[in-house]
Amino acid sequence: MKVKIRQWNGVASWLWVANDENCGICRMPFNGCCPDCKVPGDDCPLVWGQCSHCFHMHCILKWLNSQQVQQQCPMCRQEWKFKE
Amino acid sequence: MEETVMESDSVDISGSGSGPGVAEAWETVTAALVSPGCPVTEQGLSDSLALLCDQGLGRLLGSWLLETLQMRLSSSVVPEFWSGLKQPENELEERDRAWILLTAFRTLLDRLEPFLCGLERLGTWQDEGRGGLCGPGPRGLQERAFTIIRALLLFSPSPVLQERVLEFYSRTFSVYMNQEGEAEDGAEAPEGPEGAVCPGCGVLTQQCWCQEALEQLQELSHILSKLQLLEWVSSEAVTSILHKLIEQRMEQHCRGEYECSFLLEFQEWLELVLGWLSKVFASEADSGGPVPAPGAPGVQAGSSVLKQWRCHMHQFFCRIYVNMRIEELFSIIRDFPESKAAIEDLKFCLERTNQRQQLLTSLKSAFESRLLHPGVHTSDILTVYISAIKALRELDPSMVILQVACQPIRKYLRTREDTVRQIVAGLTGDAEGCTDLASELSRGDPVTLEMQDSDEEGNDPEDWTPDPTDAVPDKMGSKRRSSDIISLLVSIYGSKDIFIDEYRAVLADRLLHQLNYNTAREIRNVELLKLRFGESHMHYCEVMLKDMADSRRINSNIREEESRLSEEEQPPLSLSAIILSSEFWPPLKEEKLELPPLICQAMEAYTHRYEKLKAMRTLSWKPHLGSVTLDVELEDRTLTNLTVTPIHAAIILHFQEKSSWTLDELSVKLGAPKELVHRKLALWQQHGVLREEAGGRYYVVETGSSKEKMERGVMLIDSDEERDSNTTTQSEQREEKLQLFWAYIQAMLTNLDSMTLDRIHSMLRMFVATGPVVTEMDCQRAGGLPAEEGQGASADGLSRRLQTPQIQLMEQEEEEEEEEEEAAECVRRCVHVLWGTSASGAAFIITELQMKSEEPPPTCRPGLYFDTSTSL
Repeated sequence: MKVKIRQWNGVASWLWVANDENCGICRMPFNGCCPDCKVPGDDCPLVWGQCSHCFHMHCILKWLNSQQVQQQCPMCRQEWKFKE
Repeated sequence: MEETVMESDSVDISGSGSGPGVAEAWETVTAALVSPGCPVTEQGLSDSLALLCDQGLGRLLGSWLLETLQMRLSSSVVPEFWSGLKQPENELEERDRAWILLTAFRTLLDRLEPFLCGLERLGTWQDEGRGGLCGPGPRGLQERAFTIIRALLLFSPSPVLQERVLEFYSRTFSVYMNQEGEAEDGAEAPEGPEGAVCPGCGVLTQQCWCQEALEQLQELSHILSKLQLLEWVSSEAVTSILHKLIEQRMEQHCRGEYECSFLLEFQEWLELVLGWLSKVFASEADSGGPVPAPGAPGVQAGSSVLKQWRCHMHQFFCRIYVNMRIEELFSIIRDFPESKAAIEDLKFCLERTNQRQQLLTSLKSAFESRLLHPGVHTSDILTVYISAIKALRELDPSMVILQVACQPIRKYLRTREDTVRQIVAGLTGDAEGCTDLASELSRGDPVTLEMQDSDEEGNDPEDWTPDPTDAVPDKMGSKRRSSDIISLLVSIYGSKDIFIDEYRAVLADRLLHQLNYNTAREIRNVELLKLRFGESHMHYCEVMLKDMADSRRINSNIREEESRLSEEEQPPLSLSAIILSSEFWPPLKEEKLELPPLICQAMEAYTHRYEKLKAMRTLSWKPHLGSVTLDVELEDRTLTNLTVTPIHAAIILHFQEKSSWTLDELSVKLGAPKELVHRKLALWQQHGVLREEAGGRYYVVETGSSKEKMERGVMLIDSDEERDSNTTTQSEQREEKLQLFWAYIQAMLTNLDSMTLDRIHSMLRMFVATGPVVTEMDCQRAGGLPAEEGQGASADGLSRRLQTPQIQLMEQEEEEEEEEEEAAECVRRCVHVLWGTSASGAAFIITELQMKSEEPPPTCRPGLYFDTSTSL
């Protein structure tokens, strides 16, 4: 007997390779989106800081904009720098 | 006799000492009154009158005349009339009976005529004030005379009269209708040489007496109207004839016929009948008779009688029609779009009769006995409900009938588990035979569900109309009483979230079962639903659809990349994937499945490419989901283009390496439970690829006759699992949620000792508000009413306190007051819901109950709720 597979339609779900489940700012799951967004994934990406913490991009930008003096990671209070 | 009366009177008068002249004058005057033929000169009469008046006897003339009439009636006229009517005993032709009836009345008239004329004369004299006479005039006198006649004649009427009159009128009616070209049953008279029967009078044509009958009718009407007996003698007969005929006609023409309107037809027919009535009643109007009724308004009187009859008939028609349609309403509703005419007729008639209550009661019980029992499929109930909505909103634009009559349906649908699924299937056009909902959904100008929540007032206060009296007094004003089918269906459960969740599950199923990425239809549905439910509720569905589009793009991207690879690096099988945003899809069934290494490698390669495409993201495969298209090549045959599930594919791929497996081996290899594998193997057995042999070993059937295959195909019908849903079922999901609530409630009650239901409800609302998935909880809905009814309900002790340590379950008390009924229902539902909808969900609670109290576990949960009277 020989079986020839013509087409395999699989189902998968995508997820962010992050060290946490939820965004530390909005507490929403990374695999969802930040409260301001409707669509997860490309439209609501994650960003990583050099301190290795990551957040929804929109969340961290909002946070950084609200900081007057210096820009710190909300989790570890180190200076925030985007990871290259 | 007459002589003696007059004599005694005159003797009496002369005895009062007035001289012989007076007696003579009395003679003259009375003779002139009762026998108009006798020769009395005007001069003599006037003199006599003057003399009598001088003596003060003038005013006695009237009473004397009436007295005489009365004596004459009771002694001779009335007995003569009755015996004349009865005289020839039986065995008579109908025609003769009619004749006798007429003759009896004729004699009656003959006997009374002199008195009537005398009275009239006297009245005229009185009017003229002749010889100083005065009195009530001809009208007044005659009025009194007729009263006497009626009283004496009809004091003890024999049933014969009514029988005869009824018979005679029926006959003339059929004659009349026949002549007017409307034969009663439409059947032509048989044209036999001898057997020809006149359809009018029902005898052989040679002896037809139609014309005669009509003439007799006219004469009889004349006599009766002259004696002012018409109403007393005929009404009953006419009424019963008309009622019988209307009913008969209605039975023949309208019963079971819903597709055309009968109002106009009946109107015409009634006009025709009125023609006959005018012959019966309006004879004084077209008085060709010798003496017209005294007083000019004869014509008006006639037409006003007719008007009354027209009214009466119309009213009667409406009542009969409504009665019949009420009986048939269920069938009318079932056939609705076709039976629109019947509904419109019914609406017209119902407005004129006071039978709404009857309609409601009858319709309700029809629903209950014909629809709401276990033998009816949910989709059929829904179909009827939809028709009922459509039909009843035509019937009663205020929607009160709809609301009240369909209450049982809604209540019943709530108890059916598959209601939501059926409605959603209907909405998406999946349900067979039930396209109403889909078309309703795509109808323009939808009523958004949001709109109805707003408190927007009606445009013009002048347009306000009060609710009919049978409206259910509820918080919802009439303006909120919706007639929109979809919102009505959705509101069965009181929450649209349930539907949206269900739709999401259905959508997920459809998308995952689809081989291509064609989502045009789903997009359209979602857009339409968005108009109904509002954008925010359909957000998840939108993301799901976007996932499909994204997946397609990613797939083509990856394909392109693959095609650039060299020949030997080409992947061994073509793999495409649907990539989900897990947070937005309904929870998918988790099943374990180890796919063959070949597939796993392909998936890994795919994941790598995906990771390259989307930085910092990876894929988690759901190996049991999806679909596989494959060919199976056997020695003597090839099965091509089979589309199976991954587990089927995995099984058959394993048989490629080794031609025989036991169930256990396969189960281990696939990492799936044995029962599942066993079930899935059936498909291949059905296709004749595998066969099971003793010891639970499965072998590949390399060579097999097609006959054997056929037999197997018949033998093993294994189709139920093909439509297996990929998503976890609603009840499973709900159960999980309920467990969550139970934990909350338990904690609250242990800490706070006791709480009212609405407080529990509001606490839950506060704590468990994480996204639409959780807020739609049944508990909220169940607790909703008591919470809103507020103090009234709790003052009545209705929202019982719940105390965990001593939960006690008692029978629902039946004698709830009416407004409490609803609240009690809610309590019951809440308990029901909290205690889980399935046995397993309630299991641990029941155990707890058994430990804590002697009460038996809640075996009949729906009828039970907490009682607090004991714990208070």
